[in-house]
Amino acid sequence: MAETEPRTLVDAREESCPGPITDLAKAYRRSKVGDVIELWATDPGVKADVRAWAAKTQNEVVSIEDQADKVVAVLKIHRR
Amino acid sequence: MKRVLIIGGGSGATFLANTLDRRRFETTVVSDSALHMFQPGLLYVAFKNAPVGITRAERRLLPRHVHFLQQDVTHVNLREHRVRTQAGTELTYDEVVLATGVRTAAARIPGLEEVNAQFGDYHSTIEQAQRVWRHLAEVRGGTIVIGQGAAICKCPPSPLEGALLAEEFLRDRGLKSRTKLVYFTPYPRPYAAEGINDIVAPILRERGIEVRTFFDLDRVDTANRTIHSIEGEQIPYDLAFIVPPFIGAPITYEPAEVLDEDRLIITDKFSLRVKGVESAFAIGDGTNLPTSKAGVGAHLEAKVVARALAAKPARFDGRTHCPMDLAYGKGTFVVGSYAAPTVKYAPSRLNHWMKAAMARIYWISLRGWLDPLFDVYFRLTAPEKLAARQAHRLRPAA
Ligand SMILES: Cc1cc2nc3c(=O)[nH]c(=O)nc-3n(C[C@H](O)[C@H](O)[C@H](O)COP(=O)(O)OP(=O)(O)OC[C@H]3O[C@@H](n4cnc5c(N)ncnc54)[C@H](O)[C@@H]3O)c2cc1C
Repeated sequence: MAETEPRTLVDAREESCPGPITDLAKAYRRSKVGDVIELWATDPGVKADVRAWAAKTQNEVVSIEDQADKVVAVLKIHRR
Repeated sequence: MKRVLIIGGGSGATFLANTLDRRRFETTVVSDSALHMFQPGLLYVAFKNAPVGITRAERRLLPRHVHFLQQDVTHVNLREHRVRTQAGTELTYDEVVLATGVRTAAARIPGLEEVNAQFGDYHSTIEQAQRVWRHLAEVRGGTIVIGQGAAICKCPPSPLEGALLAEEFLRDRGLKSRTKLVYFTPYPRPYAAEGINDIVAPILRERGIEVRTFFDLDRVDTANRTIHSIEGEQIPYDLAFIVPPFIGAPITYEPAEVLDEDRLIITDKFSLRVKGVESAFAIGDGTNLPTSKAGVGAHLEAKVVARALAAKPARFDGRTHCPMDLAYGKGTFVVGSYAAPTVKYAPSRLNHWMKAAMARIYWISLRGWLDPLFDVYFRLTAPEKLAARQAHRLRPAA
């Protein structure tokens, strides 16, 4: 991905209720079309949530990756 | 003697002031309000027309040796340990604890201020909660929309509790067939944490409450009585009880970088120290901690800070334990921590009773007198243990 894209890192590791989806919703509210959001989380449920969120909001899941200590989801904002 | 300055006079501040050893600390509490409100009571003022005896004088909730100042703090210089109030008083400290909570910020969403002013809300004042009740009591039909206006919410179960109690009210009054109740949330499911969602989602279906997920409130069109989401959807309403966004207290900090864009204090989630400065802690709703904004959290965080101030090992584990009223006399608790996912906790009458009991014991609990009991209770209901017991209980019968 081009390094020039504005990329927002959202670190939502080890959160208790209500959890990472709160941070994603907050980042989305602040975002503009063309932004890239990188979300880190340790809650395994985040993968399904991110996919459902992207489908609903018509934004793009660039990648979702399981790393040793976290899940990393990269999202591109197409609609705001 | 170490001079500890506690800014705020709510759940976290009051409990902490009551716990600090008077032989070691000279404690001052400064709050912009002479009154202390039991905020969970607003839910019942709004949806059950409960009596409004939910405030007490803050001074009387503090031990005599604690200094109390009723003044509005406007500036906090965390580098020079100086605090200024609206009235021009300058205060200094050895250690400061920021416990200024959050306040509603309806103006952040176009049209929401007007809707909240018209129909009321149950997260600010008693008058606003009474306004909710007056409108609810007058319902004869139409669409009632209840929901969460922003991702961060004081008491995360409270938007849903409002919808569930409103449904109970409508059924009691025989208005169910003439009304439609819609609940909206920015989250992917009715309750963000999955354990509790597993409990609540079927209840909402059973009770005929329509749920609109991924509805991130963008604006309210008061002329056409519709609410609109960032995602481009809309919901028409006749009556709308919308939980507004929340922001931190309007205090100017030095350094300014201790605040995030919602004016929440950037706080280390384990040590509860304010990031980047010395001798400053933050507790309760006013922090950016990734946990529920709830009185229980403020209480547990105050305990951690009390230990840290006494130079004992202290680490916050992100524990939540929020009661959730499911209406019809049943309730559950939202129990989790940074490390443990939220427990799927079956509804019960006992849980509901415990929530009701809290209204009575709240004032004494602030004094710290019940803490030995709470310690045992929280240990017994640690999310890991509770999850194991509940899994056993919720297993379908063979
Ligand atoms: C409807 C509703 C239901 C709830 N239900 C529950 C529940 O069931 N269980 C639960 O645990 N929690 C519940 N809560 C949440 C709970 O009330 C709060 O989380 C709790 O009060 C937070 O404590 P705090 O000390 O952080 O902030 P607060 O108690 O809000 O106190 C903040 C204090 O700071 C003071 N202050 C603010 N700005 C300034 C300033 N500039 N200068 C000086 N002082 C200032 C205020 O006057 C206030 O005294 C509920 C809340 C609501 C609204």
